[in-house]
Amino acid sequence: MDLNIKNLWVVYIGGVEIWITETIVNTWIIMAILILLAVIARIRMTRFSLVPRGFQNVIETVVELFDNFAAGALGSSLSYIAPWFFMVFAFILSSSLFSVFGLRAPTADWATTFTLAFATFILMLFMGFRHRKGGYLKSFFGPHPIFFPLNLIGELAKPVSLSFRLFGNMLSGTIILAIYYQLTPWLMQIGIPALMHAFFDVVIGALQTYIFVFISFMYIRGAAADN
Amino acid sequence: MYESLAIVLAAAHFAAALSLLNGLLTVFGQAKIAATAIESIARQPEAADSIRGIMFVGLAMGETSGIYGLLIAIIMLFANPLVDIFVRMLG
Repeated sequence: MDLNIKNLWVVYIGGVEIWITETIVNTWIIMAILILLAVIARIRMTRFSLVPRGFQNVIETVVELFDNFAAGALGSSLSYIAPWFFMVFAFILSSSLFSVFGLRAPTADWATTFTLAFATFILMLFMGFRHRKGGYLKSFFGPHPIFFPLNLIGELAKPVSLSFRLFGNMLSGTIILAIYYQLTPWLMQIGIPALMHAFFDVVIGALQTYIFVFISFMYIRGAAADN
Repeated sequence: MYESLAIVLAAAHFAAALSLLNGLLTVFGQAKIAATAIESIARQPEAADSIRGIMFVGLAMGETSGIYGLLIAIIMLFANPLVDIFVRMLG
């Protein structure tokens, strides 16, 4: 665990150098584990019965819990986008959980969180135009057309604030733990970091995951639901 | 030569500390949100679930300004462009 993001190797594609950083490799690891889980769930799904037992019970509970959360936050007419946010939820949560094992969390890199927040922004625009058509465009011209620049800045600030919130929380935990690991002797590194990991990675990570997804839902509902 | 670099670095560290002082006001705002939510839950326990959800979102919104201060402090300490310019001027 380190303060800076290490650059592992550089790939040249068509004369452009692309840096493969620690963040990208950790993202690949987490993606591989999530895809493996999804494939296992898909294979087991062929043997699912009407009355859930064991593994099927766990999967159904998780999906149902998330679907209810999405339907409550978005309203039933918009909750068909819940699968995308289930993926975002699983990725952010597992990336903060894997930092317990010493992987640097990919969400402690602004590139990752801005990508996720920008996807929310694109989805917000798309859903707004899909459900309200011209009414969404009209909402930019506010109570009076003179408010257009303010409304535009307000909309553009949404992905930035959404990404900075997650990034700042994850990075502060990473930095505090890195400083702790560098400053203390090995005797102090036996049981105490576990408590700090439990707070900074598990508690804060789960809370920020929930907040990221919930605020994304709020933005999309504000754009797409007719007032 | 090196004394002026030391002064610039000290100023960057003071700036980082100052930008973290906004945590004071952030914490006051978050305390107000939490206190009001507890009052509302005590008055209307059946609405506790929806109040709790709104409280978390409000806390996250209030935390944003604190996070901005933290990011400014981190930029001041680890990625300060002014210190880089000064080091390049020194040669």
